[in-house]
Amino acid sequence: MVGPQAYNPLLMSTPAIHLHELTKVYTVPEREAGVAAALRSLIHRKTEDVRAVDGISFDLAPGEVVGFLGPNGAGKTTTLKMLSGLLHPTAGSLSVLGFTPWKRERAFLRQITLVMGQRNQLVWDIPALDSFELNRAVYRVPAADYQRTLHELTELLDLGPLLKKPVRNLSLGERMKCEIAAALLHRPQVVFLDEPTIGLDVTMQRRIRTFFADYNQRFGATLLLTSHYMNDVEALCRRVIVIHEGKLLFDGDLAALLQRFSSHKTIVVQLDTCPDTLTGYGEVVSCEDGLVTLRVPKAETSRTTARLLADLPVIDLTVEDPPIEEVIERVFAQEAE
Amino acid sequence: MRALRLMWTFFRIGVMGEAAYRVNFVIQLFQSLLGLLTALGGLAVVFTYTDTLGGWRPDEVVALVGVYILVGGVIGVVIQPSMEALIEGVHDGSLDFTLTMPEEAQLLVSIQDVDIWEVLNILLGFGVLGVALSRLGEQVGALQAGVFALMVLAGGAIVYSFWLILATLSFWFVRVENILVIFQSVYEAGRWPVSLYPGWLRFGLTFLVPVAFAVTVPAEALTGRLTWQTGLGAVGLAVALLVVSRIVWRVGLRQYSGASA
Amino acid sequence: MKGLFELYRQQMKTSFAAMLQYRAALVIWLISQVLDPVIYLVVWSTVSAASGGEVGGYTRGDFAAYFLVLMLVNNITYSWIMHEYEYRVREGVLSAALLRPVHPIHADIADNLSSKMISTPGMLLVAVALGFVFRPTFHLVPWAAAAFIPAVALAFLLRFLLEWTLALAAFWTTRVSALNQTYFVALLFLSGQVAPLALFPRFVQAIGAALPFRWMIAFPVELLLGNLTPPQALIGFAAQAAWIAAGLVLMRFAWRAGVRQYSAVGA
Repeated sequence: MVGPQAYNPLLMSTPAIHLHELTKVYTVPEREAGVAAALRSLIHRKTEDVRAVDGISFDLAPGEVVGFLGPNGAGKTTTLKMLSGLLHPTAGSLSVLGFTPWKRERAFLRQITLVMGQRNQLVWDIPALDSFELNRAVYRVPAADYQRTLHELTELLDLGPLLKKPVRNLSLGERMKCEIAAALLHRPQVVFLDEPTIGLDVTMQRRIRTFFADYNQRFGATLLLTSHYMNDVEALCRRVIVIHEGKLLFDGDLAALLQRFSSHKTIVVQLDTCPDTLTGYGEVVSCEDGLVTLRVPKAETSRTTARLLADLPVIDLTVEDPPIEEVIERVFAQEAE
Repeated sequence: MRALRLMWTFFRIGVMGEAAYRVNFVIQLFQSLLGLLTALGGLAVVFTYTDTLGGWRPDEVVALVGVYILVGGVIGVVIQPSMEALIEGVHDGSLDFTLTMPEEAQLLVSIQDVDIWEVLNILLGFGVLGVALSRLGEQVGALQAGVFALMVLAGGAIVYSFWLILATLSFWFVRVENILVIFQSVYEAGRWPVSLYPGWLRFGLTFLVPVAFAVTVPAEALTGRLTWQTGLGAVGLAVALLVVSRIVWRVGLRQYSGASA
Repeated sequence: MKGLFELYRQQMKTSFAAMLQYRAALVIWLISQVLDPVIYLVVWSTVSAASGGEVGGYTRGDFAAYFLVLMLVNNITYSWIMHEYEYRVREGVLSAALLRPVHPIHADIADNLSSKMISTPGMLLVAVALGFVFRPTFHLVPWAAAAFIPAVALAFLLRFLLEWTLALAAFWTTRVSALNQTYFVALLFLSGQVAPLALFPRFVQAIGAALPFRWMIAFPVELLLGNLTPPQALIGFAAQAAWIAAGLVLMRFAWRAGVRQYSAVGA
C-alpha cells in the first residue's frame, strides 16, 4: 500500500477535504498517422479509456498545507478539478467543507478558490483593481471586508504600484500576483493551487511561496498545492501526497519523503575525455564525451565537489537535485519491495 | 434585482476595457457606415429596375435595413461577444474560472463580454429607421412603437437562445468558432424581406436560423404588415426557445464536467 | 522546382489530415458561401418577375445560371488569408514562418488548395442541387467553356496574390479589420457578386474596369456563360496577366517591408 499515513492530530475534527476511492476515467479518440487512417476515422472513431485518477483516498484537516506532487499527466490537475467542482468523478466519493463539489452549490463556491498557473481570469485591458470589482460583485463581498482584505493582500503581495496598471502591461510575475489576489478577495477557506509558480522566475517563485505560507498562518485557510517543482512543496508543505499515473504513491511527512527517497544529489562534471577510472567520488551514472554524471549522498556533496575541482581538469560542474521523476521512481521501487 | 446589477457591473467593465481603445470608435463607425453603404448600394441597383420588391416599397426596405442594423447592434453589443468568449473559454480553459464562481453560470457567460461600440449600430439603425419612416410619411403611434419594441425583444430572445445553443455545441465539438460565421452570413439574408425567398429557404430563415424573427417581423410591425398570429407566434417561440436553450446549456455543462449521461 | 512540389505535397497532406478532424467546420464554410449568391439570385429573380420577365437582358434562368456559376467561381478563388494574418500577427505565431527558408506564400497556397479539395466538390454538388430548384438556363459556347479553366486558375492566382499582399497590412497595424472590410465591400460590388456587372450604371462599370476585382470572379463567370466575344475574352486574360504581374511586384515589396516592420504583438 501507500507510505506511512500522516500522523495528524488535526484530523480529529472533521476533515476539510475528504476523498475516498476517487476515480476519473476519460475516453479519448485515438488515430494513427496517415491519410488513409484519417479517412477511415471519418466513418469510425476509435477510442480508448484513460484512467486519469485511479481510486485515490486522503483527508485534509482544516488549515493544513499539503503538497500534491507528481510528474506531468499524473492526475494532479484532474483531482483538483474534481475537488473544485469542475469535473464529475467517475467513481468514489469526495467532500470539501462538507459539500459535494460537483453539485456546485453557491455556498460551496463562495468558500473555495482555484488558482491556476499561467491562466488568466483578470480582464486584459483594464487595471487589476477594476477586475477585482468584478470578483467583489460576484462573491458578494461586503465593502468593509473587501477593503480590509484588499489592504492585507496588497501588503503581503506588494501590489501597490501594480493595481492601477492595465493587466496587459504587467510582467508575468506581476500578473500572477494580481491573479492570486483576485482569487483571494473573498477569503476562501479552501485554496486550490494548480502549478501556481510555473513559468515564473526563481525570485518570483520564492515570493509567492512565502506569500502563501504567510497567508496560511494569518487566515488558517486549507491549502492544497499541486506542482512538479520540488521546491514549491519543500517551502510550504509539511505533508506531501505523491501521485503517479493516477494512483497514490505516498502520503506522509515531507521530511520523511526527502530523507528516504531524495537523499542523493547529482553532480554533472564536464571533462575533456572520459577518464579510465573515476572511483572514490561517488556512483558514476554515466560518462559520455567527457560529461560525467555522478550520484553522491547529500551530505557528501560539497566535499566531493571540492575534491573534483581540485583533482581533475574540470571544464564545468553543476550540482542538481534528482528530478522528481527519480524520486518517484524510488518511491515506486520501494513499493515493489 | 441581482442579475441586473451584475449585468451593469459587466457592462461597466466592458466600457472601461474598450474606452482604452479610442481608435476602435472610429473603426466601428467606419465599419457601420460601410455596412450601410453595402445595403443601400444593393438597394440602389435593384430599385433602378423595379418599383416594388415583393410588395415592399423602396423606403419600406430601407426601414427594414434600419431594423437590420439596429438588431445587429443589439446582438453585437453583448450576445455575440459573450458567446464568442464562451467558446474561447471552453478552448483555453478559462471557463473553469467562471464555473468556480458562486453565480448562475449561464448568466455569467451570457454577459461576460461587452462590445460597447456596437451601440453605434443601434444608434445608426434608429437613425436609418427614422429617416425611412419620415420619408414614408408614416406616423408611428405609441401602440405600434410598443409592439415594435416587443417584437425586437422577442427576436432578441430568440437569437440569444439560438446563439447559446450553438455556443454550447463547443462542449462536444472542437472547431465551433466557425459556427459564429454561419450566423453572421445567414443574418445577411435579413437585409431583404424574408417573404422574397422560396418556401424552403423562408422556413430555414425562420426556424433554423431565426433571422425572420430578428429582423423582418419587427420591420413588419413598423410598416403595418404584422399579423397578430405572427406577433403571438414570435412571443411564444421566444419563450419556448429560452426554455430549450437553458436545457441545452445544462446538458452541455454536464458534458463539460464529465458527468455520466 | 522539385523541392517546391514536395513542399506543396507535404503541406497539403498535413492540412488535409488536420481538416478531416474538424468535419463540422467544413460544412459551415460551405453554407456561408452558398447563401450570399442565393440571396441575390432570389432578389433578382423577384425583380425580373416584376419587370416582365427580364432585367438588362437577363431572364430568371439567366440569373440562376449566373449566380450558380458565380457561387462556384467564388469558392474556387476564395481565401481567408487576410483573417489568418491578422490572427498570426496578433498571436505572435509568425516567427515560425519567418524562420523557414521558403517563401511563406507557398505554404499558404497549399493550405488553401487542400481545403478546396474538399469544399469545391461539395460546392459543386450544392450548385447542382440548387440547379433543380432555380432552373438555370445555359448558353454554352465550346471555346469559352474551354477557356474557362485557365480563366479560373488565373483568377485564383490573382485573387490570392492580392489578398495575401493586403493581408500583410497586419504587420503595420493590428486594426486591419477596417481595411479588410473595405476590400470586401469593393470586391462584393465590383466582382459581380451583387449583380452582373452589366446591370450597374456606366460610371460604376468604368471604375470597375480599372480595378482587379472584375477579373477575380466576374470574368470567368461571364466567360463560361458565353456572354463574352473572343476579343473581350482576350482583353480579360490580358487584364488578369497584367494584374498578376503587378501583384507579384507588390507582394515582393510588401513582404520585404513587412518582415522589417515585424514586431511580435501580444507577448
